[in-house]
Amino acid sequence: MSLPCGIRNLTYAQDMAIVRTKTQWGMLLGLLVVVFTAPLYLSNYWLGVFNLIGITIIAATGLNILTGYCGQLSIGHAGFIAVGAYTSAILTTRFEMPFLVGLICAGLMAGVIGIIFGLPSMRVKGFYLAITTIAAQFIIMWIINQWGWTGGQLGMTVPFASIGGYIFKSGQSQFYLIIGITVLCVFIAKNLVRTRVGRAFIAIRDNDLAAEVMGVNLTYYKLMAFFIGCFFAGIAGSLFAHWNITLTPEQFSFKNSILYVGIIIIGGLGKSVGPILGVLFINLLKEVLTINVVPFLEDKLTMFPSGFASGVTPMLFGLVIVLFLILEPRGIAHRWNLIKASYRLWPFSY
Amino acid sequence: MEGMTKKARLKKILKYTLWTLLGVVIAFFVFLCVVNADFLQFTITGLSVGMVYALIALGFVLVWKASSVANLALGQIVLISSWFSYTMLAQAGLPAYIGLPIVVLFALFLGWVIERFALRPLIAQPILSLIAVTLGIGYFLEGLITFIWPLSTAGLPELFPKEVIHIGSAVISQEYLWVIGICLLVFIALTVFFRYHRMGIAMRATADDQTAVQACGIPVTRVFSTSWMFACVVAAIGGVLISSIGGITHGLVETGLKAFSVVILGGLDSFIGAIVAGPIIGLAETYGGGYLTTYLWAGVRDIIPFVIIIIVMVIKPFGLFGEERIERI
Repeated sequence: MSLPCGIRNLTYAQDMAIVRTKTQWGMLLGLLVVVFTAPLYLSNYWLGVFNLIGITIIAATGLNILTGYCGQLSIGHAGFIAVGAYTSAILTTRFEMPFLVGLICAGLMAGVIGIIFGLPSMRVKGFYLAITTIAAQFIIMWIINQWGWTGGQLGMTVPFASIGGYIFKSGQSQFYLIIGITVLCVFIAKNLVRTRVGRAFIAIRDNDLAAEVMGVNLTYYKLMAFFIGCFFAGIAGSLFAHWNITLTPEQFSFKNSILYVGIIIIGGLGKSVGPILGVLFINLLKEVLTINVVPFLEDKLTMFPSGFASGVTPMLFGLVIVLFLILEPRGIAHRWNLIKASYRLWPFSY
Repeated sequence: MEGMTKKARLKKILKYTLWTLLGVVIAFFVFLCVVNADFLQFTITGLSVGMVYALIALGFVLVWKASSVANLALGQIVLISSWFSYTMLAQAGLPAYIGLPIVVLFALFLGWVIERFALRPLIAQPILSLIAVTLGIGYFLEGLITFIWPLSTAGLPELFPKEVIHIGSAVISQEYLWVIGICLLVFIALTVFFRYHRMGIAMRATADDQTAVQACGIPVTRVFSTSWMFACVVAAIGGVLISSIGGITHGLVETGLKAFSVVILGGLDSFIGAIVAGPIIGLAETYGGGYLTTYLWAGVRDIIPFVIIIIVMVIKPFGLFGEERIERI
């Protein structure tokens, strides 16, 4: 289905290849070139937008592994991102560790916290697990709000990322750092789900009892999914901390957790390209709304009390999530595949 | 056979021990209430808050039992109905006996709309999309609330007399007792409805076996829609009660989420569970807030229900009265 007509896989390596034809290689390289030359023709504002998109893609990829592949619904992802962000921030400010150490430790710490809150997944699933992760979100945010080291509600200031004396201060350098790590994370995630581990995750998602009968160690793989998913969240949190340089607890609210679930649903659950498309869709929609729609509404509809238009964005996000679930439950990724197929098959219908 | 009877006897002994233990604990609490005025105050507050949690939790259980949909938009439904009652009572200035029925009508309408346009197209979808769709609804409602009521807080006009009651040395504001009374009334009304009304019986039957009910000619979709309408009404009553005490804030969403700890502790598919677990959570919250804050960080009160969720999940995931489901491949 995904291969053009006349291309045959003669060896196992060919069958397993992600990028199979020369055209696909050309498209991929072209995409990477476009992405990595983006700072040349993007303004600082849009670089910032794309930095945030990169960070969000990392976090959403983690959630996609946990929810999309392993089927363990987590509605506390923002909490795990916060764990990573604050771990990195505390290590770099209070212990004056280098950024890279902070980055790795942020991932590990978030992963360990993820395992702790993932422990109930051994006994429960579905709605019960969703509630547990909501509880995790609130407990984590309470600790961050109250603990002295995190600065509480006032938040804390974090230095810019730096590697070997070079400080990532400008928008461009941050863009390369963040997008580089994003590409790496997406690459790892894409390949992870093709390994034994990934197949175990998919088996658990499709039917955990059947997977157990087949010999998949449920406890091990479920906790591993939590670790990997939250590791990605921690990395994203650390990058966010050193990119935004101010951290406050409101940046990791429960609403963000819901939005992450929405993102992977809009993008397409269990597709490695899903989180990318979902994040692009949601974040660009947010930009369009904040730049164009909200000021327009504030201007035109003066009979409403001031500040009403800030409700437009969440309203539309909620609407988009519901509509996608009803009309296109397999997300943009599926629609994108259909478009590709119809382009390839044109003028025939199949 | 021998082993079975032994097991049954053990179970009986365990049951009696648990009931005795419960009695002792309740007697101890009553004793403390008599002795300590602070404790009595905490108990009354906790009971009333817990009753409201139980009401909101009932809204969840209703929908879960009828259609196995986990309604995570409960907090936002509570918030939007509180704001609507604010518009009716404070902004439009209607008296309570006209305004509150309108709020109930609004809740009925809200439940109908949610079921008809968001849940009906998703019947028989995997649980993940059902959870996600309610999350999406919640997100939408939250935006809608900001859109219509951009204020951050507001107070409802007084619904209950404010005079305090003196019991011994304890000073208890009367509203809490009113809240407890109204919650009990709603519980009784619901019980009567489920026992004697045709629709109530149909709803119970649907919860039991959806296919059989369909074969009997009961319109299952109407049962779903009714359960959503009822759920929204009890959530709205809970919202109005709790905001008549504490005012309308964004924290009401969190109140709705805290009701999930009631649902989890009582068991997802149990009315009695919700009614028993509600006061337990409410009491735990107020006692914790009253006695633990000095030892722990501030805001401990708001986190206790969530800690209870985690503990219940690890020890007894199906709750006190929940039905343990055995799965087969």
